[in-house]
Amino acid sequence: MKYLKALCLVAIITGLLLPNLSYGQAAKVRIGCALPLTGVFGRDGNLVKDAYTFWAETANAKGGITVKGKKYQVELLFFDDKSDKAESAKLVERLASVDKVDLILGGFGSDSVFAASAIAEKYKYPMISGGASSNKLFERNFKYYFSTLGKATEEVRGCVEIASILKPKPKTAAVIGSDILFTSLAAEGFKDYLKKAGIELVHFELFPLSLTDYNSLLYKVKQKNPDMLLVGSHLMVALNTMKALKEVDFTPKLVAFSYGPTVPDFVKSLGKDAEYVVAAAEWAPSLSYKDDFFGTAKELNANYFKRFGRYPDYVEVASMGGALVQQWAIEKLGMTPPLKEADRVKLMEGLHKMDSLTAYGRIKFGPDGANVDHPPVAVQVQNGKLVIVFPKDVAEKPVLYPAKPWKERK
Amino acid sequence: MRKALFPAVLLVLLLLPALKLEGYYYRMLSTIFLWIGLASAWNLTSGFTGYIDFGSVGYFGIGNYATAILMTKAGMPFVPSIAASGILSGLVAQFIGRHTMKLRGAYFGIATLAFAEAASQIVMEFDRTFHITFFEGSHGITLPIAHEETFFYYTFLIVVSLIVLTVFFIDRNKFGYALKAIKEAEDSAELAGVNTRFYKVSVYAITAVMIGVLGGINAYWLTYISPLDVFSVIHTIHMIIMALFGGVGTVFGPVAGAVVLSLANEIIGAKLLYTYLLMLGIILLVVVIFLPRGFIGLLSLRRFKK
Amino acid sequence: MTLFIQALITGLLNGGVYAAYSSGFSLIFGVMNIVNIFHGELIMVGAFTTYWLYTLYNIDPFLTLPLSVLSAGATGYIVQRYIINRVVEAPPMISYLCTFGIHLILANLALLFWSADFRTVTTSYSGVGFSLGQLTIPIARLITFFIAVCTTFGLYLFLEKARYGKAIRAASQDKQMARLVGIDIRKVYALTFALGAAVTGLAGGLISTHFVIYPQMGLPYTIIAFCVVVLGGMGYIPGALVGGLCIGVIQSLTATYLTSGLSIAITFILLFIILVLKPRGIMGKGIVE
Repeated sequence: MKYLKALCLVAIITGLLLPNLSYGQAAKVRIGCALPLTGVFGRDGNLVKDAYTFWAETANAKGGITVKGKKYQVELLFFDDKSDKAESAKLVERLASVDKVDLILGGFGSDSVFAASAIAEKYKYPMISGGASSNKLFERNFKYYFSTLGKATEEVRGCVEIASILKPKPKTAAVIGSDILFTSLAAEGFKDYLKKAGIELVHFELFPLSLTDYNSLLYKVKQKNPDMLLVGSHLMVALNTMKALKEVDFTPKLVAFSYGPTVPDFVKSLGKDAEYVVAAAEWAPSLSYKDDFFGTAKELNANYFKRFGRYPDYVEVASMGGALVQQWAIEKLGMTPPLKEADRVKLMEGLHKMDSLTAYGRIKFGPDGANVDHPPVAVQVQNGKLVIVFPKDVAEKPVLYPAKPWKERK
Repeated sequence: MRKALFPAVLLVLLLLPALKLEGYYYRMLSTIFLWIGLASAWNLTSGFTGYIDFGSVGYFGIGNYATAILMTKAGMPFVPSIAASGILSGLVAQFIGRHTMKLRGAYFGIATLAFAEAASQIVMEFDRTFHITFFEGSHGITLPIAHEETFFYYTFLIVVSLIVLTVFFIDRNKFGYALKAIKEAEDSAELAGVNTRFYKVSVYAITAVMIGVLGGINAYWLTYISPLDVFSVIHTIHMIIMALFGGVGTVFGPVAGAVVLSLANEIIGAKLLYTYLLMLGIILLVVVIFLPRGFIGLLSLRRFKK
Repeated sequence: MTLFIQALITGLLNGGVYAAYSSGFSLIFGVMNIVNIFHGELIMVGAFTTYWLYTLYNIDPFLTLPLSVLSAGATGYIVQRYIINRVVEAPPMISYLCTFGIHLILANLALLFWSADFRTVTTSYSGVGFSLGQLTIPIARLITFFIAVCTTFGLYLFLEKARYGKAIRAASQDKQMARLVGIDIRKVYALTFALGAAVTGLAGGLISTHFVIYPQMGLPYTIIAFCVVVLGGMGYIPGALVGGLCIGVIQSLTATYLTSGLSIAITFILLFIILVLKPRGIMGKGIVE
């Protein structure tokens, strides 16, 4: 009796493990994605999931992807990698070898994407991500890894170069950041650009992600009285830093974050305390980008809000941009699903050759897979809204500098 | 009949690669083997002696880093590197164990947890504090791209089989007997002349060696490690839960626990994106309340009819 | 010099927060010998209660503290009465599994209902402090500190003087004798757990104003509570205060004079050394099995 039960269990398990037998409906393009839907990056992973969903829904609303005159509906397969890179790698391997998806889209978080992209490279699946930009990702001579974001150390360029238009010009700066791959690279990027700009670095410190006491750190930085404070951050670090800055009563003339303020939660949670904050961004709705799929950047922004009740952050738009160029690639190359390995090799080569203009901006992949010419901008929170303040040719409003000290704000 | 089961399963697993299944299945089985090994190792100390270790991941991290550094900076080949990982972990455990095993209960748990967290932070801060490049901090270490998935499949299979066999033999001989005596009534055992300190520290070191070796294989398998994930307390929690779920203090309890929970994670976790962990919590409660001896308790109930 | 005093103040205020959310943990362990792995979730429940009441109805966080106390206390009571009660007499490993299961359930239910967004309570007076010469003292933290001290002493006095408090202590010292004198152990356990949870919920409500909250925030807090309580001595309530303050000050001084990264490393190294040298905690009054 026990053995019969065991046998049944084995049968059920095998049955569940076998790939979904959906080959009957061949009029589909199946795209897989491993994202952190829970865990440390659960919040961000869900944002990217929404972004891909938005792209797929937009495509399907137009009837689907058009290849050689025939329309194919998009079907997305999401898996939760729980913000763990071993999981991410395993899931991508599953998508490639068991579920045998036609295409793959990249996840979020440099660590996980690092591991997952190695698998994608092995199985020859192009992987475009809009949520991972650490330089290490591009230093492996991989052919199949692409990113619509610029490299982490360059994304933060705008936050430092803005100093050139500030009056009086800042002379000193402090850089802090959380000690994980992306944010530490952002901090190092800040450091390099500061050196190039001739601004003196009075303090540089990376701290563990689990740090709860930001006050001690910021009192220390306050003592050195820097004009600018640049922070390598994700959303949580940015929120913690702002709360702590108020508590220690420290108002640097300019505070800039590598990531965080562009997520709507930031302004929503901090209210008035978020004013004057500057952030690096690779997209803003006021930029004059457009394409015939999403429309203008402004339209994309509004439609996204209609769908999800919130505006997209630049990572979400970068992810959608990546999904779009992959779509254009298979349409242009005339690849009908189901895609075989030979198709994907051609797809990879095609992607390297493309130079496209989208509502996200220009997407052109260099030989290492990074987006070669995506000029970062700097945005600032003014009256509860994010406006582009740098570079001057796309600035919507002048930058508010210096920031008003806490005690003088109403 | 039960005795023939283990070698039979082992034989099947050894021959599995001949079926040339997709890489994913071998990766998944490697994951299961890894957890069988970790849960069994944890159980060897905590399950047998009753000293609940909360810092096991410390040795996992040490193992990962030892192998990573030896392979990338000293050019050492794989097998000597993981052996070194094991030995290093064992030596550290000797030191840690000697000082912590005079603590009881939750104090021992916290002391070991403190060790693991301290190790994690030390690896993170070391390079920065001493201005050298060694552990690479948050940048992590990248190992050379390795072989086919089946290489790791066999490595894990062999190492984990040895681990389970070791637990099996300890369970049946004088060493295991002493451990169980410590669990039941340590003071009485001490009075009866058992050198409890020797047994406690020794088994703790053996556990550390096992975990260290598994850590070393893990580093090469993942090809990229960073302090936060190889020293994460979540790994210890998984080891504990798998061992408890399957039946602590037994030889095959952790094996069953690791297999069931890993498979559940794979199959159900993938399909129920958001509610999987919630369901796991409920299942754990059900098991705890109705099956306090774990799944193995289900099987052994027949033998221990009162 | 100013920097030193400022760091000291910061450390004490931080320590007050640690103590506030750790004393409940100490109580539960001291009396019921249960390491409560879902302790962090009680903090989370208290924090979210305050958050939602503030966000939806604009009620000041300090006013809604009693509700945080109630919500966490109720959660603790219900969980204890229907689940923990069944395993309270079992070996500790069972309670680990049990409380871990509840941790998973509570954290993921919260995730399901409230999504993974990061939230925080920002009022008009958030972060405002007063200055003493060159020093800055954030008012909200000072209030939290006082509440923490008061709660700790309140709990301590309750256990020493009140009838139910004495019953709790009796039950923790000798279950059989307590039963013989007519104390209903099950009731005592329920009260203890509810009390421990309630105090924790209070801390949670306060935390929502200082820190960022999210459904999965619990586990790191549980670990810190574990450390604080062991340092101060398990089951010894004033020890939680002492332990919390010590850890707070050590961290802030290290962060100020060395680096923030080392402050965490040194906390754990020091914890390890103290345990090796003084297993009953720094005050020597911890309960050892």
